Amino acid sequence: MNEEERQMKTKIVEKKYLPEVSQKEKDELRATVKATSQRIIAENIERMKKADPQRPEALKYFDDIANLFGKRQEEIESEKAKGKKVVGYMCLFAPTELITAADAIPVRVNSGWYDTSKLGDRVVPVEVCPVIRSTIGAKMIELSPFLEQSDALISVLTCDGMTKLSEILSDQKTIWGMNIPRIKDSTQSLRFWNDEIKHMKNQIEKFTGNKIDRKSLKEAIEISHRATRAFRRLQKLRKGNPVIMGRDAMLVNQTYQWDDKVRWTDNAERLCDELEKRAERKDWVVSPDTPRVMVTGTPMFWPDNWKLPTLVEEGNPPGIIVADEQCSGERILNDPIGVDEWSMDDMLNAIGERYLMASTCPCFTSKDGNEDRINWLLTKIKEWKVQGVVYYVIRGCMLYAMEYSRVKKVLDKINVPVYYLDTEYTREDVGQLKTRVEAFLEMLNARGDF
Amino acid sequence: MVGEIIGDILRLTVLAGLGIAGIVAILLWKKNLATRVTFMRFVIQAVAFTVLFYIFSYSVPMLYLLIAVFGLSLFLGRFFCGWLCPFGLIMDLEIMVRKALKIRHRPLPDKLNIVLHKSRYVILLVFLLLPAVFWILDSQEVMVSPLMAQLLAGHYRVYSVILDPMVPFIVPWSGIGTINLASINFSYPYAQNIVTFIGENIGIYLATIFVVVTLIGGFLIRRVWCRFCPTGASIAAINRFKGFKRVPLLYVEKDEEKCTKCGVCKRVCSVQVNEVYEQKSGRIGTSQCMLCARCVEMCPYEGALKLKLGNKTVFHSRNWLEPPKVE
Ligand code: SF4
Ligand code: SF4
Repeated sequence: MNEEERQMKTKIVEKKYLPEVSQKEKDELRATVKATSQRIIAENIERMKKADPQRPEALKYFDDIANLFGKRQEEIESEKAKGKKVVGYMCLFAPTELITAADAIPVRVNSGWYDTSKLGDRVVPVEVCPVIRSTIGAKMIELSPFLEQSDALISVLTCDGMTKLSEILSDQKTIWGMNIPRIKDSTQSLRFWNDEIKHMKNQIEKFTGNKIDRKSLKEAIEISHRATRAFRRLQKLRKGNPVIMGRDAMLVNQTYQWDDKVRWTDNAERLCDELEKRAERKDWVVSPDTPRVMVTGTPMFWPDNWKLPTLVEEGNPPGIIVADEQCSGERILNDPIGVDEWSMDDMLNAIGERYLMASTCPCFTSKDGNEDRINWLLTKIKEWKVQGVVYYVIRGCMLYAMEYSRVKKVLDKINVPVYYLDTEYTREDVGQLKTRVEAFLEMLNARGDF
Repeated sequence: MVGEIIGDILRLTVLAGLGIAGIVAILLWKKNLATRVTFMRFVIQAVAFTVLFYIFSYSVPMLYLLIAVFGLSLFLGRFFCGWLCPFGLIMDLEIMVRKALKIRHRPLPDKLNIVLHKSRYVILLVFLLLPAVFWILDSQEVMVSPLMAQLLAGHYRVYSVILDPMVPFIVPWSGIGTINLASINFSYPYAQNIVTFIGENIGIYLATIFVVVTLIGGFLIRRVWCRFCPTGASIAAINRFKGFKRVPLLYVEKDEEKCTKCGVCKRVCSVQVNEVYEQKSGRIGTSQCMLCARCVEMCPYEGALKLKLGNKTVFHSRNWLEPPKVE
């Protein structure tokens, strides 16, 4: 597409939300933000390497994929040139198996760039969740490779931000909204959601021109199963004495969102092999008395929003993140699709249930409130021997912020300290956060001594 | 005489041996943790089927069989339904065929399922009264023998209704309610009694209709008969006796903290037990559950569901994505 055509295209559709940004400004902004971002990616990886001198070899692969403007972008580009479609999605509820089954590439496009959230302020007020603002900003300057590459976006209307984000992005992208019920465990909700899934299947089929049949869907589900198996293996390894830095594990987890699923799985298995050997050697990444921390709350997206894990693991005294309960983390892969009979119908229902019911996203409530999340947190604390929980909220993320008091109450009861850490999409508060995080770690250490 | 008994014991031992061999074979060969129990259940069902065939071929008084099943059920509840019942085996085989043909199953509407479950004792009563009704209609018999004798030992034995699902589809006798094909006698649960009670002429038609309807029903709706089966209901009734609560019972238990409410258990249950999903924790006490352990097998979270005998966990849910460890 040359310059003229591009301008033509942008002119034809009247934009409902996005302001006109001149091509020149766009290019300039993109260049600067991209340069910063590349620097930060490299910096983050460098720090992760330094944190663990014996860092597993297998992580090299994930470092590569973590470069958003690198290998994976080119790969997708060449796949697209061969005629494959790319379907992006925002929330985790998008049934990626359907996308894979239709021979398209699923990529998650939520943005973790701090700088673009400032640009988003031109469209929505600062009170809005930064993840949303940042994604808008990224779209304005066409920064995100995966967002630009997607031919259509699945937007699941979970929180208010996501709902309106899909509208705003529809200025420039084909958006397929999926209406998700808020009470997740009632029969009528499930029926409704299963209908949405079936509808999405038709839509994807029509769009890609590929029929999703029993065989291809089964294959797609099995690909996911294998990935989940590898992921659960990694999680299990984190239950014992630390063999991998929390940041490394989180990065591995996040790359799944845009990587090739099969290749990701192979490499994750390789990583686990290496870690198992490491555990046998008793070669721990940090001393086993390091406080074991769990992070829960608002998603933290690579590359910019990496400050909390870095602060925890490079703190003085240091902590180690052994578990997380976030949709940028374990929720991506933890739940398998429990297919019973492998008929088309049952597979679709199983997919529907896996996405709706197994999720512990705070956008839900049920007959007894969102107790699933509470229970899941309790289980994780027990099984991963968590000593302290950081409840991470970025300002504007209502749902997580509001559930805090419930979580706190429950964790107080089992005497596990929880720390509410609120922040913004900015690098400026790192110094101040450092003090807060270190005070918390200090406290955990002191408790451990008794 | 002694020789015969020894021969029988020998045969039964061989059978038990074969059953154990089958289970071991499945443990070694079945790598998919998500279907292992299901296959094991087939082995046990097949063994039970053969044992029943033997029992029938020695014309053991039916009453003994009934007592044995009820005795077992005091402890194990509807375990019989899930693991031993030949009619259950027929329906499970149908499920297998349907799966192979990639045809979907139709669940019963939840409401209907619950209504059927709630009226199980009424249905049981109706089934138990049927022999008496036919006895009254049968004017000749009324003349010859008194009601009680008829209902307990005679032509219109009441308990034979309860024993009906236990009639294997291949039987060692011929005659009423059987079809001889290639010198094997085929029968079907309830077919014989329908013919005996109603009389040959209409009975045969009714029995045929019954066979066809339940076969089609069982093909489309999983374990359709078990939803209201009089045998299941009587087992459930027996299992209710409070005095026996102290003996170890077999049951499914749920751990609230580990459950993520993913809904898998509810979907895979062939008799659509809602409680296993809706109840938050503790013992799943509904007598609708036939303890087949399919939900336990399919729950993807370690230890969220358990099949327990007394205080001992027999089997618990696990991460079935893992390849099985060599045991
Ligand atoms: S399958 Fe297991 S985790 Fe899922 S709802 Fe049932 S008991 Fe809970
Ligand atoms: S609740 Fe579980 S054990 Fe009971 S019948 Fe259903 S699947 Fe089988």
